[in-house]
Amino acid sequence: MAVPRVSRRGLLGHAGTTGLGALTGAGLVVAVDPGTPVGPPESIPAAPVGTTLAPWGPHQPGVAQAPPAVLEAVALDLRPGVDREALGRLMRLWTGDIEALTAGRPAPGDPAPWLSVPGADLTITVGVGPGALGSDRFGAGPAGFTDVPPMVHDRLEERWGGGDLCVLVAGRDATTVAHAVRRVVADARPFARLRWTQQGAWNGTAPDGSPQTGRNLFGQVDGSANPRPGTELFDRTVWVPEGRWAGGTTLVLRRIRMNLDTWDGLTREEQERSVGRRLADGSPLTGGGESDDVDLAARDEQGRPVVALDAHVRRSHPALHGGRRIFRKGASWTREVPGPRGPRLESGLLFSSYQADLADQFVPLQRSLDELDSLNEWTTAVGSAVFAVLPGFEQGDWLGRSLLA
Amino acid sequence: MHAHSTTHRTTSTTSTTTRTLRTLGLGATALVLTAALAACGEQSAPDPESAATSPSSETSEVTSAVVVGDPWVRATKGTEDPSMTGAFMTLDNPGAEPVTLVSASSSVAGTTELHEMAMLDGAMSMQAVDDGIVLEAGRGKVLEPGGFHVMLMGLRDAPAPGDEVDLSLVFSDGSTQDLVVPVKAFTEEEGHYHAPGTGDHDH
Repeated sequence: MAVPRVSRRGLLGHAGTTGLGALTGAGLVVAVDPGTPVGPPESIPAAPVGTTLAPWGPHQPGVAQAPPAVLEAVALDLRPGVDREALGRLMRLWTGDIEALTAGRPAPGDPAPWLSVPGADLTITVGVGPGALGSDRFGAGPAGFTDVPPMVHDRLEERWGGGDLCVLVAGRDATTVAHAVRRVVADARPFARLRWTQQGAWNGTAPDGSPQTGRNLFGQVDGSANPRPGTELFDRTVWVPEGRWAGGTTLVLRRIRMNLDTWDGLTREEQERSVGRRLADGSPLTGGGESDDVDLAARDEQGRPVVALDAHVRRSHPALHGGRRIFRKGASWTREVPGPRGPRLESGLLFSSYQADLADQFVPLQRSLDELDSLNEWTTAVGSAVFAVLPGFEQGDWLGRSLLA
Repeated sequence: MHAHSTTHRTTSTTSTTTRTLRTLGLGATALVLTAALAACGEQSAPDPESAATSPSSETSEVTSAVVVGDPWVRATKGTEDPSMTGAFMTLDNPGAEPVTLVSASSSVAGTTELHEMAMLDGAMSMQAVDDGIVLEAGRGKVLEPGGFHVMLMGLRDAPAPGDEVDLSLVFSDGSTQDLVVPVKAFTEEEGHYHAPGTGDHDH
């Protein structure tokens, strides 16, 4: 349940463009006249931003949310001797933290209570890795839950892989997200220690405030073909349908390095050909709008396929995989790495793939892309981790109880 | 461990924070206490329309037990005096009548008292609240370091972070709530708590 966002926009009357104009104007005044006292901009009407998402339900709510503005993924390793009973204590502890933090309340015992705020679009999603399964922990994983087999194009680094537990903290601002990450990791300390963290960002909001698919750092509109949350297709694609894990899902987190320098050297046509979509709006090269399906059979005047045989949209298309698909989300990252002539930028995508059955959905798709995908020239997986995402919990219950009890 | 004498009630208001409580041990049935309160200044979204509405009028039909939220116990393992600690939580009374937290008990403590930190002769001191902690109708109290708290004394084992402690609360309306409360590290030194507030808060 989301608290409606900006439900009072109507009250502000002229809030839209006029409000923006006033904001810009105030900025200009400060810029040209340093003598102007800078204080709270009281003349600018405030409008609440963001949503407060209840953490309860049959599924953890973060999964079906659009890619967040800020994502921090945290992997932890369980300490030796942490058994089913101890995992129950950790899950109850985290449940209390999640309920408080997502509501904008401080976590119980929070030494910095001011950092929890409502309207932060905050979701905290918990998954468990292969090391947390087994008879003395979470039991057997969901059907098809497996490590991703090695791919020819992978250049995996241990540093970005694996983990017994995963917590995805997603939100609207990096301060609130960082605080939630800190609380979750600190409270888990008796049970687990940090393995890695990965951060990423996404712009899922158009300048006019409407939701948009968003772009990766290649500039591609990324995620256009996703099943839409709330549809039967989405449910079938993402949620484990039955058994102990019913309502859960599986997550593959891949850290993709993107070679922006060589990508930037391509012509626009070469870039669009590699994916099969137009850069301007994400629409298929075969026409239509962003959300229209690509016509894999279309030919140009010379009889050549409009969508190249190695284009990403063709190789990943459900038609090639017996209808199998995934729900994907991106989070872009950039960081400084040492180079031969001083520091340089490395950029990429923290790629999340959600599917009910990892072996049946993700693996064949990834194999197909590993065999042939034009994008392989500019993308390299440097990290890979798999997690079984716990089913949701209802109010009064706790995360993972059905698996641990 | 079983929770007992709890009732399930739900009210709804336009802008609410629903508070929850896990009153269960491992494998026990979840008993849910919910009350749709815009409590503790913690509305889900800043919304002057609903803030202007008195929530007490909307919840007045509830005759009620208290809603306990966000409970925790401070770990004492490794501290100067590991034999005593505090339990903290929010207590909300959505009902139309005042309710008092009369007493508390825990299997881990020899003695359990209700305490308040207060200024006495210019210094912070802790004192027992013999009359209990009163929750006015439609209001609540925050039990927190530096203010009201449940004092657990004569601890049999020093609670460590990651442990769970059972805690039973007895209220003047005859209700009892059995909680399983997480133990958390708290970095501030004892006796150097947050600046004290009144402990009162509005709904």
